Amino acid sequence: MRSNCKQCKTAHAVTRRHFFADAGMGCAGLALGSMLARDGIVRGSDEVIWQPPDGKPHFTPRAKSVVWLFMNGGVSHMESFDPKPMLTKYAGKTIRETPFADAQNPEKLKLARVTVINDANGQQRDKLYPLQVGSRQYGDSGIEMSDWVPHMGSCADDLCVLRSMWTTDDNHGAQTQFHSGRHMLDGEYPTLGAWVHYGLGSLNDNFPQFISMGRREYWNAKDGHYLGPAHDAIPIRVDPSNPLDYGKPTGAISSEEQQIGFDLVGQFNRLKGVEYPDDPALAARIKAYELAFRMQSSVPEVLDLNSETEATHKLYGLDDPATREFGMQMLAVRRFVERGVRFIQVQHGAGGAGVWDAHSGLLKNHSKNFLEVDKPVAGLLRDLRQRGLLDSTIVLFASEFGRTPGTQGADGRDHHIYGFSVWMAGGGIRGGQVHGATDEIGFHAVENRHYVTDIHATILHQLGLESRRMEIPGRKRLEIDFGKPILDILA
Amino acid sequence: MDEQCPMNDQVIHDTSSLQARVAMSVLLAMLVWLAIGRCGLAIDANHYAAKVRPVLQQRCFACHAVLKREAGLRLDTAAFIKQGGDSGAAIAVDKVDSSLLLARITSTDQEMRMPPEGEPLTSEQISVIRDWIAAGAPAPANEVAETDPREHWAFKSPLRPAVPTLSDMSYHNPIDVFLERARQAVGVRPVAQVSKDVLLRRVYLDLIGLPPNIEELEAFAADPSPRALETVVDRLLDSPHYGERWGRHWMDIWRYSDWWGLGAEVRNSQKHIWHFRDWIIESLNADKGYDQMLREMLAADELYPNDLEKLRATGFLARQYFKFNRTSWLDELIEHTSKSMLGLTFNCGKCHDHKYDPLEHVEYYRLRAIFEPYQVRTDMVEGEVDLERDGIPRAFDCNLDAGTYVHMRGDDRNPDKNRVIEPAIPKFLAFKELQIQPIELPVDACDPGLRPFVAHNHLSAAQQALDDAQAALRKINDAGSVEKSDTESDKSQSRTKAEMAVVFAEHQWTAVKARAAADAARASGAANAGELATTAAKCERAAALLAAEQELKIAQAEFDQAGAKKMLAKKRLEKANSAIEAAKKAVELTDGNYTPLLGSLKTLESNLETEDSRRKPFPRTSTGRRTAFANWLTDSQNPLVARVAVNHIWARHFGTPLVPTVFDFGRKGTPPVHPELVDWLATELVENDWSMKHLHRLIVLSGAYQLSSSTLHATAENLIKDSENRYYWRANPRRMEAQIVRDGLLYLADELDTTMGGPSIPAADVASRRRSLYYVHSHNEHNSFLSTYDDASVLECYRRAESIVPQQALALENSQFATDMAAKVAARIERISHAHSNDVFARLAFRAVISVQPNDAELQLAVSALEKLTSAAQARNRENPQSFARQQLVRALFNHNDYVTIR
Repeated sequence: MRSNCKQCKTAHAVTRRHFFADAGMGCAGLALGSMLARDGIVRGSDEVIWQPPDGKPHFTPRAKSVVWLFMNGGVSHMESFDPKPMLTKYAGKTIRETPFADAQNPEKLKLARVTVINDANGQQRDKLYPLQVGSRQYGDSGIEMSDWVPHMGSCADDLCVLRSMWTTDDNHGAQTQFHSGRHMLDGEYPTLGAWVHYGLGSLNDNFPQFISMGRREYWNAKDGHYLGPAHDAIPIRVDPSNPLDYGKPTGAISSEEQQIGFDLVGQFNRLKGVEYPDDPALAARIKAYELAFRMQSSVPEVLDLNSETEATHKLYGLDDPATREFGMQMLAVRRFVERGVRFIQVQHGAGGAGVWDAHSGLLKNHSKNFLEVDKPVAGLLRDLRQRGLLDSTIVLFASEFGRTPGTQGADGRDHHIYGFSVWMAGGGIRGGQVHGATDEIGFHAVENRHYVTDIHATILHQLGLESRRMEIPGRKRLEIDFGKPILDILA
Repeated sequence: MDEQCPMNDQVIHDTSSLQARVAMSVLLAMLVWLAIGRCGLAIDANHYAAKVRPVLQQRCFACHAVLKREAGLRLDTAAFIKQGGDSGAAIAVDKVDSSLLLARITSTDQEMRMPPEGEPLTSEQISVIRDWIAAGAPAPANEVAETDPREHWAFKSPLRPAVPTLSDMSYHNPIDVFLERARQAVGVRPVAQVSKDVLLRRVYLDLIGLPPNIEELEAFAADPSPRALETVVDRLLDSPHYGERWGRHWMDIWRYSDWWGLGAEVRNSQKHIWHFRDWIIESLNADKGYDQMLREMLAADELYPNDLEKLRATGFLARQYFKFNRTSWLDELIEHTSKSMLGLTFNCGKCHDHKYDPLEHVEYYRLRAIFEPYQVRTDMVEGEVDLERDGIPRAFDCNLDAGTYVHMRGDDRNPDKNRVIEPAIPKFLAFKELQIQPIELPVDACDPGLRPFVAHNHLSAAQQALDDAQAALRKINDAGSVEKSDTESDKSQSRTKAEMAVVFAEHQWTAVKARAAADAARASGAANAGELATTAAKCERAAALLAAEQELKIAQAEFDQAGAKKMLAKKRLEKANSAIEAAKKAVELTDGNYTPLLGSLKTLESNLETEDSRRKPFPRTSTGRRTAFANWLTDSQNPLVARVAVNHIWARHFGTPLVPTVFDFGRKGTPPVHPELVDWLATELVENDWSMKHLHRLIVLSGAYQLSSSTLHATAENLIKDSENRYYWRANPRRMEAQIVRDGLLYLADELDTTMGGPSIPAADVASRRRSLYYVHSHNEHNSFLSTYDDASVLECYRRAESIVPQQALALENSQFATDMAAKVAARIERISHAHSNDVFARLAFRAVISVQPNDAELQLAVSALEKLTSAAQARNRENPQSFARQQLVRALFNHNDYVTIR
């Protein structure tokens, strides 16, 4: 038996430049380290075994950017990307009354690692609940999807639908788990975006490389964790007048006036460099100020959506109140991708543990939520494709888990971890395919099962990064943290 | 070179012996040739040392070396490998592929394959080993085996080393003597002393976390006394700001966190945990010994069961609270107690034996057993009866019989119930066994309702409720004829309600009074205690009946008037009816089972605990386990505690710790470059009553602390031989911690509110002028300005990160806070300068913000920027172009590298 060590956070000893990577200090110094190494500021040393990343991929990348669309609360897989007619056929029956009784085999249910014992939610629901929406085949590939996603369906030939995901947290800590690969009870671990930010250099020095839009729940509000806050996503609001924290000067100060001030800081710091010629922090701070000044104008410019044509506005649903908010975020996503932002995280659905969390009233909940996101997401895919950006951009559409085949209360579905769906598109992933499958009632992933970190490994792989090399001294990563790239789905 | 010859002989010898075996020779010769071709080197002892041993060390030593010798096999020297274990020799040079070692590392059978954990060895690693065996397993002649782990430097008590004698007699401070001897040995020389201005700024920021003002800089510059620094240091250590500055450091290390959860529900830490923060600050200011602080944190409830001031210290244990999983809660406690106080990674023993230190799996659970009985409760404080508003969160032994079991492979769903684990210290640290003595608690410690002020709190609250009810009724009666808009029936209804409230408050007051009397009699063992208890029960039940009657009236009225919401009203009415039945029965009883006044409330053990079980009486005894642990921890023979403490303190003065792995002094940690200095400082701390102020004084008065951080005049040898400054030949510039960045600006602007202690300030309160350590600081709530500057993670923060990111520039450049402070600082400088020239203003601004005089080039830049800014402001018709320009200069200085840097 393999040991299932969750606590050991310490890895094997390595020799290293302790200046940048003293244990206990987090990894913020490392960002600086790679920046300086790239600029040739830091002298090399022969005794180095482990080194901070140099910002370059490990092998030739297939994709440059990642768009990570996350539906907070848990999307019903059966009513979106994995329709299950058997639910309607056996509606109202308990699972053990159906031919699929083995789904409740206690051995199989051991996958769950309970966070809140005896919680009202996160329970198995016995009585099958009929599908709340019809489904049909979309595109040349004929992928079966629900009637709630006609626009995404129209992009079916670009999608790779993965129907065999599983996770272990039966509560919304699974949001954290989807991003970091670790169960909430294990503690806090860096998210995929943080690892990408840590591993790869900048595509455009006028922009932060890791941004986030939409509200995140508090247990999933940060990214860097032991890599340090320098690897947290920078929150962006789709509001050109106030797009990011401290993004513009307080009070009436013109950019000419501010430029004088910024220049002065740079000049002062360069003069200090005469007295402190070997101070790497000083050099890095000079660069950070230059980037900060540029970000003040570059970020609002991206968020000024008025420069886009009416056709584009329509493509994203900006002309419809139902789709306008998410549509603006999707359009902003495309503009960030165009300008070389590496990792863009968008969360849909604030409130409670996430707006998709349909413990009751699933029909009303999901039809409204899909209406909000379906057209904008499809608009983004089309727009990326027509601008030749889809090939170099991976788009992921996911939520923390699926929902139970059985009914909760009168008309809801509970959290479901044993099998659920996500999809990926672009970035060298073959479109028009379905990978993996759940059983006939959508309970267990039964074919090509994937834990959430396989998604991480696949994305890293397409970015030219080897998952296994994403680690730092003093922090042990487990096998399951690394995941395995899903090579079968690549173009 | 001589050493290599025999090894080469070995290769030749083995190769020649193989020539006799015709069948094998071809294959092996090819293998050797391939190996040589691959690495371009002969397979010799160097190959073993450089390629083979590291693989074995990394993947095999944990079980097959000095720690464990599983299956009788050691792999830490070539001789041991050849000797093999219970199954015979591990390698056979003449039958390479049937060598046991090779067979096991290449096995495809999961149960057979070595190593059993993690990924198999890579094919590259396997061929390195195969090649080496094929070449006859050459190894250095005098290969040293792994040493006994108990001999590891940090596991032996420090002995006070003699301070060496140097030929250069100018070094007096033992810190300097140790460092200088080491520097001389490697050939590096210390740079010059830092300027007085920078030194003063450094020592102010380090000791009190605030920069010196211009007057203080002038006074220090003008003081020619050789004791000038000492005078300043003594003054700063006496300042209450010292406790705030160093309190925040220890809050990092001890994982201070305000409570957090969903809505009002506590999931982590505890409400009012700020009492623990205040205890830290006060203890540091009083220079309480570090040993005493640890004892209070871990066991004040056993050592000082009725001393609420000291009980605040157990906030350390209360903070670890996690509602949903007791194992996660205790795991974090064990992990961070061991990391912060012992510099050991006990957490690695949760699932298996420690891979590096001699800690067995079961010993992890022995440590857990020390803490198994404890839970958290909130004790009432004088003057506040509502525990949601104030109270002291503290630890106490609650479940005296709770058993600890080994979790198989660390899985809490799989405890080994066959064996109860007793509390103990891991064998390798048991220089002294735990001396566990159960502790009888004073009666009012386990029955805190008997604390004298508790009855007073309850009575005042009951009196206040009565006064309020009467005032409300008076108001209605007085206003009776005035408010014409109310209908008569409305008026009479609200009057009836108010009258009912008064009657109820009277009953409550009587009941509280009777309960207080019964409590007091019970405590003193008075003869009439039984009688008073009966009275108390009677009064309490009468009040309860009245409440039930009143509820019934309201429910009935609501039901009568209810329209669409009839169902809800009906439920309420039914409930009220059954409640009144119960209350009527209760008043018939004549026993003395009254509810004692509440003096403390246990926090729910988990989401499964009921209201009833949390209100059970607290145990009369405490297990004494934590006291025993605290005594073991702070024993002067403890090899780790003092070393770890001095390392924490040193790191915060010098920027780099003496032991780089601050939370791992074990065998996997990095050993110190200056081991004798570590030991000398550790023994110095212990021998001076664990006085931290003594240590600070010693450190900041050392020559090493007072060196410049510039490398401009450093010798080439220094830069080549020790570019990382491991020999402390210069100071290390450090980025200020988040709190200091903000506090410094407030102080420069003369805006700092120096009020100390009390409830935490809401994280979003940007208008607060209090010191930053008083902001709410929890996992999901933190002040955003502070977060930008790498504020401490509440989960673990043994050292702060020092990131350099553009958001920091934006925060100091664009925030309302920075703008406001820049205006205030500029106005302040204008006031003290009395002069109107830009030149004078710029000089003073430099001195005020970064403590130094500008050089000519800097001055020129500043003056010309002021001119440019003034004309830009004039062009925009600003009201006061000059003061606008000056504010911008001050803001630029806030953004100067040397504002956020402790030079």
